[in-house]
Amino acid sequence: MDALSGWLTIILYVGGIGGFLIATVALVRRSERRLGGGRSNVSPAAPAAPGGSPDPITTYLDQMTPELMLPAEDVAEVRAELADHLGDSIANLEAEGLEREDAVREALGRLGPPRELGRQLRIAHQSTRRLLAGVGGGIFAAGGGFVLGYLGGTAVGLLLMLATVAGATALSTVVGLHLPDMTSGDGGSTANSILLAIAIAVAAAAATRYAVRTSAGLSRRSPGSVAVFWAVAAVLGFGWWFLFAYRGPQSWPSVAIELCIPLIAAAAAIVRVERPMPHVGRWAIVVLLVGAIVPMVLLLGVTSSGPASMTTISQSGPEPDLHLATVAPMAPAAWLPDGAIIGGGWGSDASGTRVAFDLNPSLSGLTMGSVLANWRDIRFEAWRALPDSDPGSTGIDPQYTTPLLAQPAVISGDSLQAVLHLERMRYSGMWWVVLTGIGPDGGRYLLQVGGGGNTSFNGSVWDWLTTAQ
Amino acid sequence: MHGRIRAQLLKGTTTLLVLTVLRDGELYGYEIAQRIRGRSGGAFAPGEGSLYPALHALEADGALEASWRDSDRGPRRRYYKITKSGLAMLAEHSHEWAAFSQGMARAVEGN
Repeated sequence: MDALSGWLTIILYVGGIGGFLIATVALVRRSERRLGGGRSNVSPAAPAAPGGSPDPITTYLDQMTPELMLPAEDVAEVRAELADHLGDSIANLEAEGLEREDAVREALGRLGPPRELGRQLRIAHQSTRRLLAGVGGGIFAAGGGFVLGYLGGTAVGLLLMLATVAGATALSTVVGLHLPDMTSGDGGSTANSILLAIAIAVAAAAATRYAVRTSAGLSRRSPGSVAVFWAVAAVLGFGWWFLFAYRGPQSWPSVAIELCIPLIAAAAAIVRVERPMPHVGRWAIVVLLVGAIVPMVLLLGVTSSGPASMTTISQSGPEPDLHLATVAPMAPAAWLPDGAIIGGGWGSDASGTRVAFDLNPSLSGLTMGSVLANWRDIRFEAWRALPDSDPGSTGIDPQYTTPLLAQPAVISGDSLQAVLHLERMRYSGMWWVVLTGIGPDGGRYLLQVGGGGNTSFNGSVWDWLTTAQ
Repeated sequence: MHGRIRAQLLKGTTTLLVLTVLRDGELYGYEIAQRIRGRSGGAFAPGEGSLYPALHALEADGALEASWRDSDRGPRRRYYKITKSGLAMLAEHSHEWAAFSQGMARAVEGN
């Protein structure tokens, strides 16, 4: 039943996102045709006069064109239509007895000043209805472009990483130059954060480009005339989103990339914006979805059903040596019955590490409050831990003399609880949590030896830049 | 002087004139101008500079459909065809114009 539910989830994901992307691509293609990305259905208008002398008709149309500010296909249509009109008009005037030169002058005069005609035609094309369609279509296409860009950006990031690993291996083998390993010590968090930052940077650029090209075609405006609007929207929207709202694994390289995203998106809106978007076919979408989303969903299914990525709390004594003396001496049995508090458990996610130590259920008739009656300032302390790469060493890293983080413990029933925001600490890495308190003699003692785990920074760029660590 | 007065009177009537001549069939821009001139016995000749913005605005509003087709001579031409929405717009404009012109006639003649 669970397997069926999992597959149904995958089908819904792939089907929903696939449908959205196919609709986006159809919308973009329609807009691209209007922007002149497809084959034009009009004939070239008003060829230049022989002999290299400026043709008055071409000159007139050239003076009118900048005022149009329409997509290339519309401009071509308008020019062809007016050239056709002028051809008829001049022929009739010549038939009425005018000389060619006079007929041309009269026909052009009847159309009025070229810039005014261009302005009136622009107003006629750019109706409010089309403007709203352009804005709505642009937002829709931006969503689809973001998803496509994210998938493509993930592929680009993975290829870059593979190339980096290959390059580093080659340097190490051939020249003997060893680059710093970015994956050890943080469980690959730095590499993961860089990969994500590359993916969302490409996604933001694609979203903005899709928005410009689609809104221009639907609103009958030249891409250049709407580019500034989308560039400003991208700077404000993506600037706010990636500075404050987007939360994920961070590192200095990823923060640097994310700070550049508004500029990348603005450049995508402006640079060579008249160039048509590359066509993304339906099969390309299917391949992207199957190649990226299915493994992602499967991975989510595996990780969500498993425990948090940390060790279980140690309930035993100080064997092997956990270097607990670095923290404080163990509480004397006279002040705290041996084994009175046991490691209950914890869970860790993007919102923090929730710690809960429980009263030993064998102590019948006692409450957490009564057991700790002689203690004050009871708190959870997170200390830097020794890396788990060496099985012979574990526990607190003795080179540190102060904890990474300390949080007061709150009594809730027969539990002591706290939320430790280790995910808001740069490179917190491996840690070890203990419970301490100040005893009747005024000294701090260890009440529970706790256990260890591994946490990576998870938050916004702003969180990263303003964290106390 | 007469031309200026007519130009003022024509302002706002281009839409009605265009829809009226297109009721009888598809036409391209220059034909529309000629047809208006012919039907009015030369009394009305909409400024050609205002004809194309009017045509394109009516197309944007859905009152007309435009398509490029081969012509008898030379390049392809852009033909305009009135839509159902355009016919409804024509009926509305005609009604308004009738009421306006009758009122204007009574006012000018003093009846």
